[in-house]
Amino acid sequence: MSQIALWGAVELGLVYAFVALGVYLAFRVLDFPDLTVDGTFPLGAAVTAVLIMAGINPWFAAAVSMVAGALAGLVTATLNVRFKILNLLASILTMIALFSVNLRVMGRPNVALLSVDTMLTPFYGNGLRDFMVRPLFLLVLAIVALLIVWRYLESDAGLAMRATGANPRMARAQGINTDRQIYLGIALSNALVALGGALFAQTNGFADVTSGVGTIVVGLAAVIIGETLFGTRRILIALIGCVVGSILYRIAIQLALSSDVLGLQASDLNLVTAVLVTFALVLPRLKRGVLSS
Amino acid sequence: MISLDNIHVVFGRGTPLEKKALSGVSLTIKEGSFTTVIGSNGAGKSTLLGVLAGDVIPVEGCVRIGDAIVTKQPTAARAGRVARVFQDPLAGSCGALSIEENLALAHKRGKTRGLKLALGHSRRKLFREKIAELDLGLENRMTDRMSMLSGGQRQAVSLVMAMMAGCDVLLLDEHTAALDPGMAEFVMKLTERIVNDKKLTTLMVTHSMRQALDYGDRTIMLHGGEIVLDVEGDSRKTLEVEDLIAMFRRVRGQTLDDDELLIA
Repeated sequence: MSQIALWGAVELGLVYAFVALGVYLAFRVLDFPDLTVDGTFPLGAAVTAVLIMAGINPWFAAAVSMVAGALAGLVTATLNVRFKILNLLASILTMIALFSVNLRVMGRPNVALLSVDTMLTPFYGNGLRDFMVRPLFLLVLAIVALLIVWRYLESDAGLAMRATGANPRMARAQGINTDRQIYLGIALSNALVALGGALFAQTNGFADVTSGVGTIVVGLAAVIIGETLFGTRRILIALIGCVVGSILYRIAIQLALSSDVLGLQASDLNLVTAVLVTFALVLPRLKRGVLSS
Repeated sequence: MISLDNIHVVFGRGTPLEKKALSGVSLTIKEGSFTTVIGSNGAGKSTLLGVLAGDVIPVEGCVRIGDAIVTKQPTAARAGRVARVFQDPLAGSCGALSIEENLALAHKRGKTRGLKLALGHSRRKLFREKIAELDLGLENRMTDRMSMLSGGQRQAVSLVMAMMAGCDVLLLDEHTAALDPGMAEFVMKLTERIVNDKKLTTLMVTHSMRQALDYGDRTIMLHGGEIVLDVEGDSRKTLEVEDLIAMFRRVRGQTLDDDELLIA
């Protein structure tokens, strides 16, 4: 694997680290299987691309993307909490609706960000090569996001969210409005995923309506790889695991696809993804089996 | 003071499985009193506690806790007034969270939860002191997950949690039923100590007639969603388990066929 390919994999891994953090909030903290992310990732990309092309500041565009993602999350949470639709089904409904919404936002299936300033523009040309600037920039943002999520989950409000996912009956008995926690948690989760989408658009130079396919699988894979390698005992370690898991996942995919020995092609991406996720899911069981034997 | 006025609870209303769980229950409980509640399975004991906790909203009637009418108030909204210990040791605490995190949750019961660190230095010290009072050695395991504790240890911690933020009423829902006899006795003694120290208004549901008479100052018996027996004062002091069974038969005019109740 070339150096550029490696940096590219790290860059994509860091973009999806935001997805992994969002998926961690929904799946692990709230125990809410949320497939909305397959729609919110391209939504974030679409909103940011359209706004940047309209001359809006790219940082502000990313912030608006987060708000759009949070609103999409609120729709899913409302369907589940208010209308008692099963969480999985509620998120699928929002996800398919978002496909149309994303087409409406962009007005066409994809938007190219050509000859426009992005969040990265000020950082180019400072001595580092462009393919290194992007991952470093994303790393700083990912660390900031990770620290904010960690600090929140360690607060009284964050603990209430964790209790809602772990034992909702007990949470209510402790005075926690569990419905409100689901609204808030799913909104935050999708805001992070939409930010990932916004960064994807700005680092890759385009937004595409199909870019969200499989986002949930990638996010879950990152979370599971992180949990397998780092454990789940402490929140900070689990969150670091999400980010590192996301990067390792992308490197593993890149390695598999660039390996001549395996004879894989770019079209085998989904197959490699499925094999890697399965491996990540089975690995903890294998580890336990080895330890017990 | 707690008062229940003409409470009716119906489950599965309008369906073939419709069941009246409480039928016109009226009850006034004095502040600082300890009431034990007995009855056969399906008598309405847990429903009565559910009505007080907010888990069950009655179709008719009025619930007052102190000066407030809380009839339609959901569980979370009245949690500042009502503390609970559940029958299932796994239900009253979060197994995935540590002992100190569970206490932090209880510490803010009924209060606004902000962005302050849930486990700051001063809180950790306070929680450690509270847990040390149990004398179970758990103060050295504050970062252990609750799921690593035995059922009795969890119930003991749940009692401490119930007391963390103060409350108007303590509800104990067969909280020793899932414990071995030794641990059940420890938890009951702990309960008695806490209730007496804090002078708490307490309702304890139990299947044990012995517990129902040994603890508290008033005993009520439910059957078919109605209060069929209500004894306190001198008449209660002289009661034996056999008397309770005889009273039950006399009031209901039927054979007591709940094995669990008879064995207890």
